[in-house]
Amino acid sequence: MMEFAQRSPLRILSGSTEKGLGRGNLGVLIARAGVGKTACLIHIAFDKIFQKGKIVHVSLQDGPDKIASYYNVIFAELVKALGLKDEREMKSLVEKNRMILSYLNQSFDLRRLRENLRNLSEKARFRADALIVDGLDFSKASEETFEEFKTLAAEYEAETWFSALSHRHITEVNERGIPYPCHEVDRFFSVIFQLQPLSSGIQMKLLKDHCRPVKQEDAIVLDPSTFLAVPR
Amino acid sequence: MDQDIRTMRNIGISAHIDAGKTTLTERILYYTQRIHTVHEVKGKDGVGATMDSMELERERGITISSAATYCRWKGHRINVIDTPGHVDFTIEVERALRVLDGSVLVLCAVGGVQSQSFTVDRQMSRYRVPRLAFINKCDRAGANPYRVVDQLRQRLSHNAVLMQIPIGLEGDFAGVIDLVSMKAIYFEGLFGEKVVRDDIPAPLRTEARAKREELLDAASMFSDELMEAIFEERVTEELIDVAVRRGALLRQLTPVFLGSAYKNLGVQTLLDGVTKYLPSPTEVENIALDLNNEGARVNLSTDPALPLVALAFKLEVTPYGQLTYLRVYQGSVRKGDDIYNTRNRKKIKVGRLVRMHANEMEDIQQAAAGDILALFGVDCFSGDTFTDGRVNYAMTSMLVPDPVVSLAVKPKDSKAGGQMAKALGRFVKEDPTFRSFVDPESGETIISGMGELHLEIYVERMKREFEAEVETGMPQVAYREAISRKAEFNYTHKKQTGGAGQYGRVAGFMEPSETGAFEFVNQIKGGAIPTEYIPALEKGFQSCTEKGLLLEYPVLGVKVTINDGQYHPVDSSELAFRQAAVGAFKQAYMSANPVILEPVMKVSVECPSDFQGNVMGSISQRRGMIMSSAEDGVFTTIEAEVPLAEMFGYATTLRSLTQGKAEFTMEFSRYARVPESIAEELKKEYADKKRGGKR
Repeated sequence: MMEFAQRSPLRILSGSTEKGLGRGNLGVLIARAGVGKTACLIHIAFDKIFQKGKIVHVSLQDGPDKIASYYNVIFAELVKALGLKDEREMKSLVEKNRMILSYLNQSFDLRRLRENLRNLSEKARFRADALIVDGLDFSKASEETFEEFKTLAAEYEAETWFSALSHRHITEVNERGIPYPCHEVDRFFSVIFQLQPLSSGIQMKLLKDHCRPVKQEDAIVLDPSTFLAVPR
Repeated sequence: MDQDIRTMRNIGISAHIDAGKTTLTERILYYTQRIHTVHEVKGKDGVGATMDSMELERERGITISSAATYCRWKGHRINVIDTPGHVDFTIEVERALRVLDGSVLVLCAVGGVQSQSFTVDRQMSRYRVPRLAFINKCDRAGANPYRVVDQLRQRLSHNAVLMQIPIGLEGDFAGVIDLVSMKAIYFEGLFGEKVVRDDIPAPLRTEARAKREELLDAASMFSDELMEAIFEERVTEELIDVAVRRGALLRQLTPVFLGSAYKNLGVQTLLDGVTKYLPSPTEVENIALDLNNEGARVNLSTDPALPLVALAFKLEVTPYGQLTYLRVYQGSVRKGDDIYNTRNRKKIKVGRLVRMHANEMEDIQQAAAGDILALFGVDCFSGDTFTDGRVNYAMTSMLVPDPVVSLAVKPKDSKAGGQMAKALGRFVKEDPTFRSFVDPESGETIISGMGELHLEIYVERMKREFEAEVETGMPQVAYREAISRKAEFNYTHKKQTGGAGQYGRVAGFMEPSETGAFEFVNQIKGGAIPTEYIPALEKGFQSCTEKGLLLEYPVLGVKVTINDGQYHPVDSSELAFRQAAVGAFKQAYMSANPVILEPVMKVSVECPSDFQGNVMGSISQRRGMIMSSAEDGVFTTIEAEVPLAEMFGYATTLRSLTQGKAEFTMEFSRYARVPESIAEELKKEYADKKRGGKR
């Protein structure tokens, strides 16, 4: 899995003092619709799973079948692109170490998520090392929501990744360079990325990396079909 | 004739158990005047719904076997197949879908998209069946058709579009607003038989306009004419219908109808939808395999003048003999015709030709392409193809899953013994997922099928229909064996006991196959084994996979490669090489580290969200692996994979854990290696049985 680790989108954090998001911390990917937030989150999930970590994928939009099929498609592309061997074993690892929790028709609330995580941990012996939260509406989420997520992440010692939907017509950026919709809640996040389509692929730009000052060159380009980092 | 075919609809009605499909079918028959009064499933009049023709079905209130019937609606002839909701009878649903051109997916307005809805929807997708959705039970407390439409989109990924909106809901449900004609529709009379159209009530006008916009947006994706008409504000009902029909036929749009079959609301408008938006047999591609041309795929045409091609999709035993349900795909069949069974080339004279109406029948003289009918006195198996002899076609075979549960059955007395044999012979012919055999070691009769309930129903049917009382053993899981590593063989079969000798040597290796099926690779070079003996070797190796050497279970997924050998010009024969293969298999098998596999089921449990923890706990205790949990309102659906051996009696456990508020479905998913502790138990059991002389 060395090759995957070298080309995973999380490679961008290899220069970070923390070497990643870190347990109990929140991270977010900001992008407009259709740029590939879910695909990128799934790559982050694979990164954790291939290191034998357990992840809980929380979707506020899609049902488990759809999420599982996203994973299958991306996995198949990874196998092809990286020429991975032991495909069957790796697929089995993905199925064992991934749990999908879907909340359909606005049925998401943090109390239920907390309850579900507790059930998974106590009844199904599945304790998450990372949470992937896709589809949370940042424009409507309150500060309390993120505070609670922070508490939950700390409680489970799970690194927690979010996707946040930005819009072309909303150009607000705070004084720290963090754009809408994270500009008012950036203090809750240890790592913030922005995804932007370029002609050469998708640029993944680091906007916040714990306390380390972010440099202009903290960006990589991802292949738009595989979401693997394009070698420089 | 062609005009007739275009006005024909062959539809199935599929749903989660208790979504009300039998009641819906009953109402369809009533409104199309096939029956003249209405009986409810488990109704107080004790008659039961017409489509539940088997006594057992009436008693249990579930539909066990498909009952075919036909009716006419506004110049269209509709063949309806009522299909079972329980997953154990999935073969019935599969068969129905194989022969149907369209389907109605019935959903409960309260329960929404339930676990079994996924299964039937997947099946419909497999057979590329266009469908409509009917959201039933809009009169029930908690009914929310809008939520169900969202579920259709989110959980089943349908591009679902409401063709109607409700006038009131729950106890106030009074009718529907048709978003195409923008009229309110009410259903008056004792059984709602009078359809009354009126203006849309003022309080619902804004909502109706908004939902019509959504319908137009969705439909216009399939018609440029409609899109232009929307811009030019000259939309007609016909333009909408054409666009919706196009989308539905492409299976890219699912028109959604609303109603309450029990309260006689919305059924006639659904029938209108069936005739408007589901395909006629001429619009569906049907493929046959030409057996005279190496199985080349042939497109069938609905031309009644072309050679006959028909598929026997269901057999039923009746007091008058075997009844064979047939779908005619091409050509036509008349009373007195000679037809041929492609499987055995047997000629059959068509005696009585009938059109079915649940358990009643109507004699007909002929049937043409597109039609569904039944024949009397034809000896065949379900899935056989019939032609008139001018072509030698076989319809592509239907997907038949292997049974996963077995049960020993023993007749209570000698009279029952004879009857049991008769019953089993009949069931095996009727249902390809049901198998029966006598265990040569124990002498017990074993029946196997797709689940506990599946077998339970056949045991009941033996008693009721054949007066065969039987005792049953504990359900047994269909274990398998598989090798887990490569092992080499080099075996010489040599026998010289007077007369002609036997000689054959074969060398090579066996390894786990990627496909899970038996594979045979011939890498013999330089004629070490003559080509004529290679098939015998393959047969020899394959025959060994029927019974593994570990615990005598069938062996899955072995790839055998032969790369060397030797023959004798006089003593070598097919038999000798077959024996050599058997010896080679035995030589290598135990070195290939054989393991025991067990069937793992995909289990879906639906429960109120408060019981999620209990359900997860119960799955974990059963060696289950939870895959996902989806919350929707107050309900949660938990998907898991659980070994079948752990699922016996789960219904009772689940009931007590959830105060009877949860339900589950399961279907076979895959075979997986059993844990070491269980393998040891199985080995011990096997050894005990061997010692006791029984297996």
